Amino acid sequence: MTGRLGLSRIALGLLGVAIVVALWQGTIAYYGLASIVLPTPLSVAATLLKLFGSAAFWRDVAVSLKEFVLGYVIGGVLGILVGVLVGERPAVRMTIGPVIEALRFIVPFAWIPLTVLWFGTSLTGKIVLVAYAVFFVMVVTTHRAMTTVDPVLTRVAIMLGMRESEIALKVHLRAAAPGIASGAKAAAAIGWIAVVAAEYIGASAGLGVMITNASMSLATATVIGGMIVIGIIGGMVSWLVGLAAAAWLNH
Amino acid sequence: MSEFKTASDPLSGSQQKDGLSFEGISHTYVAANGSTPVLRDVTFAIAPGQVACVVGPSGCGKSTLLSLAAGLMRPTSGVTRWKGKPVEPGTNPDLGMAFQQPGLFPWMTVRQNVAIGLTTRGASRSDARRRADDMLATVGLTGFGDAYPNQLSGGMAQRVGIARALALRPKLLLMDEPFASVDAFTRLKLQAEFKALLKLDRPTVLFVTHDVSEAILLGDVIVVMSARPAAVDRIIPIEREDRDRAGPGYARKMTEALKALGVETDLSHD
Repeated sequence: MTGRLGLSRIALGLLGVAIVVALWQGTIAYYGLASIVLPTPLSVAATLLKLFGSAAFWRDVAVSLKEFVLGYVIGGVLGILVGVLVGERPAVRMTIGPVIEALRFIVPFAWIPLTVLWFGTSLTGKIVLVAYAVFFVMVVTTHRAMTTVDPVLTRVAIMLGMRESEIALKVHLRAAAPGIASGAKAAAAIGWIAVVAAEYIGASAGLGVMITNASMSLATATVIGGMIVIGIIGGMVSWLVGLAAAAWLNH
Repeated sequence: MSEFKTASDPLSGSQQKDGLSFEGISHTYVAANGSTPVLRDVTFAIAPGQVACVVGPSGCGKSTLLSLAAGLMRPTSGVTRWKGKPVEPGTNPDLGMAFQQPGLFPWMTVRQNVAIGLTTRGASRSDARRRADDMLATVGLTGFGDAYPNQLSGGMAQRVGIARALALRPKLLLMDEPFASVDAFTRLKLQAEFKALLKLDRPTVLFVTHDVSEAILLGDVIVVMSARPAAVDRIIPIEREDRDRAGPGYARKMTEALKALGVETDLSHD
């Protein structure tokens, strides 16, 4: 039963991809588009295969992933830390709460001109941007998850004789873990989007740079191939974070 | 002000400085939409090793009384003392409490939930584990140690919460309608087990219930509270022979308590 369901699930997934490819191919045929405007799925697939064999491509992937991972870890750790403080300490909440509320609506992309000014096209600018994007998602979700912890658990912890720090970390943070985990998954998606967006505008290496360079030399198949790679990596990152979170929650 | 019976009560006097005492407690909850006075000049004492069952109309502040005794909050005025010292919010190593809801940590197994208080208070892991299993057996949950709270029924989870409080072998045991959410059959069983456990360690107990028969069965005294803002309406001492449900003492105490609660018990005219 589950086997058949699993099989039909894969089949339906493939059907979805096939529909997109068919629409793509049909559009080219219907409008008679030149390959410089929209290359065929087959030529994009061939370009992708060629990319996979090139060291430069993998260097670009590595740069983008490095920016993402560093920014994600820095922003994630800081975000959870600040989220816990905001959740546990009313004085902290009142001090930095309004600042965070205002800043989180300045989307990461609005900072790109400034990060280019401050950090040039180096990796640092991208890492800062990803950390910024991830930080606010994690502060807000951590705080929200901690404020929705059942107050009875706090009373129980006090009754059992736990110290304030133990209650914050062993009870509140642990009880908030599922909420924080789903925040971490959302933050991964936002962080990855921030990396690519920043690379489009000001960078010297990375997938975004590869795509903008290909676009300037009218290598449209490479542009689309790069976009597909971005999508696949984003999906894989989100999937991996989800797996890690589930493993952590069930440890 | 507080001219009532505590002074002449058999349980008060010099003993009370070793037990639990409420001295002129008033408490008002303040919220944005107004303030609610719940306790008004509540004064009574529980001697060491005595069981006091508090009954009263719902919403009369019985749970507030427990929170004050546990040091989970401070009263608006008055003093709560345990062993003569004012109760401070925070740590009382003598304290064990069972809440109205089970309040189990969902990420811990049943055994870990019962053992966590013991390890927090310095017991070794193996000792805590052994005691947890003993207590789980006492509340009829042998074999459920490795289950998670979300796998239990409401009544079973409630019993884990009781086991957690009793496992601490508290000198001061506070119970907030702990048997209210279990089925009638299990309740009778738990009441008997609970009674036996009390004999073992002789803790001082403040037991909130809305069930007068439970109060007669378990209590050395029944503290009857008035409606909100609650004061102590009457303290009814219970003797051993009053617990015989077929005896005259039981009916007399029952009638006295219900009358104090304003419940009409004479239904013979219908």
